[in-house]
This record gives sequence, structure tokens and C-alpha cells, in this order.
Amino acid sequence: MQDGVVLTTVDDFLNWGRKNSLWPMTFGLACCAIEMMATGAAKYDLERFGCGAFMATPRRADMMIVAGTVTLKMATRVKTLYEQMAEPKYVISMGSCANKGGPYWQHGYHVLNGVDEVVPVDVYVPGCPPRPESLIEGVMTLQKKIANERLLRNKWVKHA
Amino acid sequence: MHNVDLNQLASLINKNIPGANATVNVAPDAKLDSSVNVEASHIYKIAEWLRSNTELPFNALQAITGIDWMEYMEVCYVLANFDVNASRELILKVRVTDRVEPNIDSIMKVYPAADWQEREVYDMFGIKFNNHKDLRRILCPDDWQGWPLRKDYVAQKFYNGMEVYPDAKMNFEDRDFIVRQAMIKKAQETKAQ
Repeated sequence: MQDGVVLTTVDDFLNWGRKNSLWPMTFGLACCAIEMMATGAAKYDLERFGCGAFMATPRRADMMIVAGTVTLKMATRVKTLYEQMAEPKYVISMGSCANKGGPYWQHGYHVLNGVDEVVPVDVYVPGCPPRPESLIEGVMTLQKKIANERLLRNKWVKHA
Repeated sequence: MHNVDLNQLASLINKNIPGANATVNVAPDAKLDSSVNVEASHIYKIAEWLRSNTELPFNALQAITGIDWMEYMEVCYVLANFDVNASRELILKVRVTDRVEPNIDSIMKVYPAADWQEREVYDMFGIKFNNHKDLRRILCPDDWQGWPLRKDYVAQKFYNGMEVYPDAKMNFEDRDFIVRQAMIKKAQETKAQ
């Protein structure tokens, strides 16, 4: 019982710290990246939610926003970038193309049918492209998800 | 195309490069662009002459594109002269008849801008450019199969385990077009009867 109480508190504390300092990776693929830049800029200011520090390397990032069309050529690179990120890591799939291939899947031969075929996705943000408000909604959904995680019971922290 | 007498240019090419076989391809409409057709085997010499001659020089290469006409393929060079006093443009067309192993001389040594343009034509049509120093695919992955802009292209089903073209995938506009054509044909037949 005592363990439970202490663990829950530590978990909550850790989660509070983690969810309010999500660092995304500087990584844009297509037009959705323009909306992502707008989200990070002064008007929408992603820094209010603690995720404005766009890291220039996957090694320092917690979160990858897949913003744009994932072509088959890029899919292997996206997977490599995801594998380079340190645990715990999260993926937001932004826009129709990253979610399910978008218009290019129907009419093209070169696009992946959704980025979830190569990396696990936590939050899907619909839209073509999604407005900055939508992306912020997606980030806040991810924060809620992180707040409910139980880190210390999870094996990758126990055996780290 | 612009500010060039194509007949004069074609006769100049024929005079200076024997066997070039330059002919003027006159556009059927004034809105469209006329072009000059030349022999594929002489393209390097022609490009060299077009760049270095004093009568009608062209000092810049704007684009190289390919066209697949099913019976033959065409490589299309858009040349220009960047000079305030003598600006002109030219479309030069070359036929490549071999579909199995199409190849043509590279003009990269004459116009360095041809480097990536020729790589793109190679990527999309599979036309090999002889003497190109770095002929790789430019847009598709290196291990991609087939030449996407050829009319008889069928996309591969899988690439590295990722689904590319499943049977369920269908271009609905194409399907609607086929259905519409069938309906029109049927209507015409009933009308004729």
C-alpha cells in the first residue's frame, strides 16, 4: 500500500515534468510543416505548452511530428530517425498524408499508406493541412496521454 | 520558338553538321510552339555547335524533358540565349526509337545544366545518357523498378515490404471515365439502330 501511494506520486511528478517539456524534432516533410512552423511561431506559440524547443537532432527530442507526405523513399529515413530518438518517445501524425496516404495514395505510386506502417503513432491530427489550433489540440491530447502513464512500473525504465 | 527563324536555323544546322537531318516541325496553331527535329546520333555535335556558333548562339539550357508517344520516345531540349540584345528560345526534339535499351549522347559537357535534367529523364523514362558522369535515379529510390512516366508503366506491388499498389487500389476518376465512355458508346449504338 505504501509503495503504491509513493509510486503514484512519483509517477505523477515525473509525468508532470515530462508532459510540460516535450521537445519536438525539427522535421518537416511537406506543406504541413508550414503549419507546424506557424504553430511554433509567435501567434500560436507552442512554447506555452512546453513544446516549442524544436531540437535539431533526434537524439535530444522526445516527440516527432510527422508533418507531411511520407514517400516510400522517405519512409526508411523516418524509421531511422524514430529509432535514433531516446526513450520515452512519441509520434504525432499530422495531416491526411501522414495519417493514411492522403490524395497521393489514391493517385500516385510513390506514397506510403500512412506513417503508422513504419513507426507507432500516438496521436493522429486530421486535416489537409491541419490548422495550428488542431496541432495544439493534438499536442494537448498527447500531454493527457503522458499524464496517465505509469513510468516506474514500465519495464523499460526498470531495466534501464 | 521566340525570335528565331527556324527554317534558317535548320538549314544552318544541316550545313554545319552533315547528317544532322534537321527539319522544322511547324505547330498547327499559332498559340503552340514550333520546334526543330534532329537526328539522335548527332545531338552532341549539334549542341556543341548551337552553343559555340556566332550566327545564332544559344548560351543556356533551360530544360530537358521526355515524352512517350508509344511508337517512339522523344527527348526535348529547351534552349535559350540570355542576351538583352539577342534573346531567343528554341525547342529541339530528338527521337529515340529503341524502347528496350534507349540511349542517347549526353550533352553535359556542353551545357553543365544538363546534369540533373538528364538524370530526371533517365529516372522517369529509362533513357540512358552515354558519357554522363553520374547517371543515377534522381527522384525514385535507387532500387525502384520500372520507369514511371512511360505509358505502359505498371507500379510494383511491394517496395521493401511496404505496400505500393494493392489490387484494391483504384483510380476512381479513371474508372468513372471508362464507365462514361462505355455509356456514350452504348447510347450511340442504340441511336444507330
